[in-house]
Amino acid sequence: MTPRIIVANLGVRLKSFYRERSAMFFTFAFPVILVLVFGTIFTKPEHLHLDLAVQDLSSSEGSARLLAALATGDAFKVMAVPVAVDATQYAKEHRLNLLLVIPKNFEALQKQRLTGPHAGVPVSLTYVYDPSSTSVDTKIRLLDGIVASVNQKATGSPVAIALVAASILPERYRFIEFFVPGIIAMAIMTSCLSNALNMHAELHQKGILRKLATTPITRADWLASSIVYQLILSVVSTVAILLVSYFVFDVQLHIGIWLPLILVVEVIAFVGIGMLLTPFAKEAESASAVANAFLFPMMFLSGTFFPVEMMPGFLQAFAKLLPLYYVNEALRASMIFVDDAATLKYAGVTAAFAAVVFVAGTFRTRWDEGT
Amino acid sequence: MPSTGPAIVVDKLCKRYGALKAVDNISFTVKAGEVFAFLGPNGAGKTTTAEVIETIRVPTSGTVTVLGMDVTKRKAEVVRRIGVLPQNFSSFDRITVRESLQYYARVFGCRADIDALMDLTNLRGKSAAQFSTLSGGLKQRLGIAVALVCDPEIVFLDEPTTGLDPHARRQVWDVLKGLKGRGKTVFLTTHYMEEAELLADTVAIISNGRIVAIDSPAKLTEEHAEQMRLTLKSIDSAAVALIRNLGFYPVPKGDDDLCVPVKTPDDVRRILEEIQRSGLALGGLDVRKPNLEEVFLKLTAETPAASGQERAA
Repeated sequence: MTPRIIVANLGVRLKSFYRERSAMFFTFAFPVILVLVFGTIFTKPEHLHLDLAVQDLSSSEGSARLLAALATGDAFKVMAVPVAVDATQYAKEHRLNLLLVIPKNFEALQKQRLTGPHAGVPVSLTYVYDPSSTSVDTKIRLLDGIVASVNQKATGSPVAIALVAASILPERYRFIEFFVPGIIAMAIMTSCLSNALNMHAELHQKGILRKLATTPITRADWLASSIVYQLILSVVSTVAILLVSYFVFDVQLHIGIWLPLILVVEVIAFVGIGMLLTPFAKEAESASAVANAFLFPMMFLSGTFFPVEMMPGFLQAFAKLLPLYYVNEALRASMIFVDDAATLKYAGVTAAFAAVVFVAGTFRTRWDEGT
Repeated sequence: MPSTGPAIVVDKLCKRYGALKAVDNISFTVKAGEVFAFLGPNGAGKTTTAEVIETIRVPTSGTVTVLGMDVTKRKAEVVRRIGVLPQNFSSFDRITVRESLQYYARVFGCRADIDALMDLTNLRGKSAAQFSTLSGGLKQRLGIAVALVCDPEIVFLDEPTTGLDPHARRQVWDVLKGLKGRGKTVFLTTHYMEEAELLADTVAIISNGRIVAIDSPAKLTEEHAEQMRLTLKSIDSAAVALIRNLGFYPVPKGDDDLCVPVKTPDDVRRILEEIQRSGLALGGLDVRKPNLEEVFLKLTAETPAASGQERAA
C-alpha cells in the first residue's frame, strides 16, 4: 500500500462526491429523514391518546366524578355520546370500538349500595365494544385499572401493594434511543456497499479500470482508499444523525472511544463485502440489484428497526449470521447500555469478520479483465 | 534511464478466450525510438496484443518483454516506464483536465509539468473543464496527455482517433507528430491506413490473430501493392460475381461500394465494359495508385466466396 496513491484516490473520490450534489444529498439526508420520521412516530407518547366514548345518562354529581377519574392522567380522551341515542347502534354507526354507558340511575344505585336492602351490591356499568378491534383490549385493561382505583378509593381501604419502577438502564430509554444506533449502522452499511459496487460498475463500464490497470495502483491501494473515503462519509453521516436526534428528540447517547472504533470495523467489513461482490456488478443496473439483495435482508433482520427478540426463533438464529447484527449490538451496548464487555464482544466479532473480508477483498478485486 | 536494446519483444504470443484464439502465435520486435503501427480490421487481435504488452492481460503462452523486462513477472516496474492511452479513454466525470493530470502524476509518483503537457496536447484553455463536459477529441487529447504524464519511454496509443471528426483527428495527429519528434517509442494501434502511413516507421498488419506482414510503409507498398485500386461507388451487389468472373477479387467497402485491385488501365476498361453490358447502375468510380490501404485490403481480405455471400445477404 502506498500512502501517496491512497491520498490521490481520496482526493478524486471526495471531489467527485462533493460535485455530485444528488449523491451527497442521498448519503446524508436519507438517514436523517428516517430518524425524523420514526422519531416523530414513536417518541411523543404525550400526544398519544386513546379515545373513550361515554354516554352519561345519569348527568349527576356521581357520574361527573367518574368522568373526572376517567379523564385523569394521559390514558383516555373522553368523548361524550348524546343521551338520546341507542349506544350499540351509535357505536356501530360511528365505528367506536369501546363505548361506556353510565346508567340513568347511577347516583341512586350508588346510594343503595351503601345502605338499605341492596347494600354491598356493586353498581354495574355496561361497555359496548368491538372485539375485532386491535386496540380495544388495551383500552379495556386501562378502563379496568381506572375502575379498580375508583373502587379502592370509594371503599376507603389503604393501598396494599404498590409498584416501584427501576430501569436496568442508567438513563431513560425510549424507542428512539434504540433506533438511532441502528440507523447509524444502517447508513454506513448502505453507503459502503452501494458506493463500492456502483463505483466499480462505473469504472468498469467507462473503461477507467483499464487505464488504472496500467498504473502502479494495486488492489490493496484501491481498497484502502475506499475505506478511508467511506470512513470520512461515515463520520459526517453519524454526526448528522446524532445532532438531529439530540436537537429534535433530545436523544442523549453515550459517545465514547467505542463509537469511532466500531465505525472503523464496520466500514472495513462492508467495503470488503462490496469488493467481494464486484464481479457480479459490472453494469450499473446489476450493481444496484446486487446491493439491494444484500442490503434489504440485512436492514430488516439485523435489528435495525425493531429488536431481534421480536422475530421468530429461526429468524433470530439467522440474524446472528449477519454482520450488521453485531454492529447494531455493539453500537447499542456502547451507546445505550454503556457495557464495555458486551461492546467488546460484538465489536470483536465485527472486527474478525472485517479482517477476513478485507484480506479476501484484496485478492478478489481484479484490475486485470478477462484474464 | 533509456534502454539501449529493443523497446518491445513479443515472442510466440498466444491469447485464447475459451475456444477463441484472439492472438495466434505472433512474434515481432519494436525498436527503441520508432513509431510502430499495428494495423488490422476490427476483431483481428490488435487490442488484445496491445493489452498483453501493457500488462493488462496475461498471455496464454509466449513471452513479452518491455525494455528488457518480462511483463508478467515485472508488471510493477513495466507500468512505471510506459504510458498508455486505452481504447475509448475515459476518466472521472466530475474531475477537471488539470486535476486528472495531477491525479495520474501523483499515482505514478512523478513531478509532471502539467502546463507543458496541456500545451503539448493543446488543452490549456480547457484546464478547468470537467471531463464529462469535454468533446470526443478533447477527451482523446487528455488521454494522450495522461499517457505522457511521467515522460514514459514507450507510449501505447490504442486507436487514438477512432470516432473523431476529421478536424479532431488532425489535431491528435499533430500531437503524435510532436511525440515522434521527441524520439519516443510509440506503439500505435489503428485501423486507419492514413494514420499509419503518415506517422509510422514500421507497420505490422494483423489478421485473424496472425501477423500477415511487417515492414516500413514504403517497403510494404512496394512489395505488396503492385496493383492500382478501382473503387466502384453505389453499385449493386450482383457486380461481385460479375467482376469475379473476369478474374478479379472485389472487396466490399462501406455500404454499397466495391474495391477492386487491378494491374493495368486495360483491367479498368474490361470491368467497366462488363458492368455496362450487364446494365447495372454505377454511382461513380475512382482509380488510385498503390498505397498502404491496398496492401491492407489485399492482406486482410476475406476469401472471395465468403465475401460474396455476405454481400448478397
